[in-house]
Amino acid sequence: MISFQPTADEWSFVDLAKDFADERIRPLARECEQNRRVNPDLVKKVDELGFATLELPESWGGLELPLISQIQILESLSYGDLGILQGLPGPGDAASLIRLIPDSPVLNSYKDAGRDGSWPVVAFYHAANAILPTSEIKAVPKGAGYVLSGTSQPLRLAAFADHLVIAVTDSDGNPLILWLDKADNSWDVVEGGYRLGLLAAGCARVRFDDETVNEDRVLAKGSEAQDLLSKALSRVYVLEAAKEVGLMEAALSYATEYTAQRKAFGQVIAKFQGVSFNLADMAIETQAVRHLVRRSAENTDREESESVLSTLARAHRSLRFVTDSAVQLLGGHGYVQEFPVEKWMRDAQAQVILYGREHDLTIRHGVQILDEPIRTEA
Amino acid sequence: MISFELSPHQQQVKDVVHWFAENEMRPISMEADKSGKVPDEWLDKINKLGIQLTTSSFGEDKPKSDKKTKSERQGNRLAVIASEELGWGDPAIALTLPGPGLGGPPVQSSGTPEQKRRFLSIFSKDEPPRWGAYALTEPEAGSDVSGIRTTAKKTEGGYILNGQKIFITNGGRASWVVVFATVDRTLGRAGHRAFVVEKDTPGFTCTRLAQKMGIRASETAELLLEDCFVPEENLLGGESYYETRGDRPSGFRVAMKTFDNTRPIVAAMAIGIARAAYEYTLDWVRREYPRHGHFHHLAADVLAHAEQDIEAARLLTWEAAWRADIGKPNAKEAAICKAYSGKIALDVCSECLELLGPVGLEEHIVEKLYRDAKIFDIFEGTNQVQHLITARHLYEPFGVRV
Repeated sequence: MISFQPTADEWSFVDLAKDFADERIRPLARECEQNRRVNPDLVKKVDELGFATLELPESWGGLELPLISQIQILESLSYGDLGILQGLPGPGDAASLIRLIPDSPVLNSYKDAGRDGSWPVVAFYHAANAILPTSEIKAVPKGAGYVLSGTSQPLRLAAFADHLVIAVTDSDGNPLILWLDKADNSWDVVEGGYRLGLLAAGCARVRFDDETVNEDRVLAKGSEAQDLLSKALSRVYVLEAAKEVGLMEAALSYATEYTAQRKAFGQVIAKFQGVSFNLADMAIETQAVRHLVRRSAENTDREESESVLSTLARAHRSLRFVTDSAVQLLGGHGYVQEFPVEKWMRDAQAQVILYGREHDLTIRHGVQILDEPIRTEA
Repeated sequence: MISFELSPHQQQVKDVVHWFAENEMRPISMEADKSGKVPDEWLDKINKLGIQLTTSSFGEDKPKSDKKTKSERQGNRLAVIASEELGWGDPAIALTLPGPGLGGPPVQSSGTPEQKRRFLSIFSKDEPPRWGAYALTEPEAGSDVSGIRTTAKKTEGGYILNGQKIFITNGGRASWVVVFATVDRTLGRAGHRAFVVEKDTPGFTCTRLAQKMGIRASETAELLLEDCFVPEENLLGGESYYETRGDRPSGFRVAMKTFDNTRPIVAAMAIGIARAAYEYTLDWVRREYPRHGHFHHLAADVLAHAEQDIEAARLLTWEAAWRADIGKPNAKEAAICKAYSGKIALDVCSECLELLGPVGLEEHIVEKLYRDAKIFDIFEGTNQVQHLITARHLYEPFGVRV
């Protein structure tokens, strides 16, 4: 039955997240950006409330929520500040891998390390974006293990990472996923002069200099690795798209309130249709993407075939539009740091370039469509 | 619980209407467009089967008083599911299906019990096909409904109507038309009244049928009211409906309420048009385009965007319908889904034509769908009007009226 009604549990969790976003996250957004790290007290509070373990399995002490519930909570948190959300320590995108193979012995030490509820940081490198030969990590089989070399593109959380997930195709052409621990393997963190956005998210490159990785670090390989990566990325993409909706909602509501109060030519600027129609378009885009994300989450939960790539691509496009529009509607005030919208526009642009290229995602989805048998069903 | 899965009942409605669209509408679609008319014998046949375009499930149908009933009201969702399939079949033919059409909701929501009985009971499969219609637009008043000039002058036992109405779907063939008029222009919206004017009423004539870009098989009439006497009992809601001062609904409210109820249906038809163009083009591209290289990627890009626009439009429309079903206000959602669907329907058709290239000029259904789609960004409130309504709702919490 078609319904847009959240469950009572979702309502209460979302309420909690909304209040937390308003009262705790939003006020610290600038400070965390300047410090290039999320405030440790805030991290502690996030851990206490369970927001950091929505995706982790129950056997790991996580909440193991379905995606349809998680996206509503993440949307509310991201309304506070996407920059902070992306800089929260913990398993990050690797939580989706853990969710899929919670009993893998490779993960045991990480599972033990997080027993107290404070999870070490994991950065997730996958080669889906590695189209530049100069920004790739190469894995060459050596005995039962591998030798890693090369430098990644900038990754979220890499600057803080205690662990790395490396998903690559090895030099023999076999898909491979490695789980590395800083205690056993070494890599260099190469931080760039980042100024665009998500500055608290610990973006950095990682570099390997002929690092030998033992067999016991292999999380999956061959078709199993391919399947695991594909499933994990689908979940990651849904969750990231939901965060983008939260940022869109923030920009929309801020611009609404501002334009309802700001006066020019003797009236509030909301009364100019150049302003109000732009705002209506922002609302339409936000709602359209919200629904698409919910649809993708619901389908992924039900393990139905799903156009996650297309949903994320659309979220990217709409996020750029909505955050840019917010800056535009605030005029000069939108451009300066006394107002949050300039940060949101920068964060948005950083977010969309970290998580897949919009056109690539769209075309990949289009090729899937062209290769499928024709669908006549909705 | 949030769910986008059709229930078995919803799926059944979709399947049945799709079957009808594919097997009854599509075969006559191109010919009806060419001749500018849905064949009478087809309409007779369809009417005998009991198939009608009724939008009155959208509206004020209260759930039956049986409080024990556990089934959730879903008439609005069923209506948009069915409308998408009808739009997919042929929007012009869909608009020509017998029934009260857009005239249904105002009678249903504002009519007295007697009026509902008189005007809504005439649509029967045992009778010849009949239509209702809705006449609001005038040469000088389209989007700005409050500017209507058709006058209603009180006289003994009724009103004398004078004025002109344009763009009235099924206005020529309708057994009755809900006509909006003003009793006093200086009163603005408070002066508006809605009348049910019956066919063959002296002074009421159809002067012309419009020639259009698309939906050519749908009749678009101009109506003239010249000293047309309409009895009191045809004043929608009756005199008492307008007598009480204060916040009682005016004729304007009646008109607007209709739009909240019908916009999601119109949006759903637009989505059906877009989906028809998309499916046709996808099939064609698969057969005709190279499987690799530049054009393959170009088609992939265009089709992925089209698929997504259709999906987003459908979800927005379902939301508006769902809200109506559960009794939540849906004016903003209805405006949003109409604005979005009307726009993407044309965009998708246009992009599909681009993929077809010059062969799209020939008798492929997509060029017809493109011509048909454009009106969906205009009627039932233009895209700009939908934006205005959306903006009004966004600014309402801040006490700003735009």
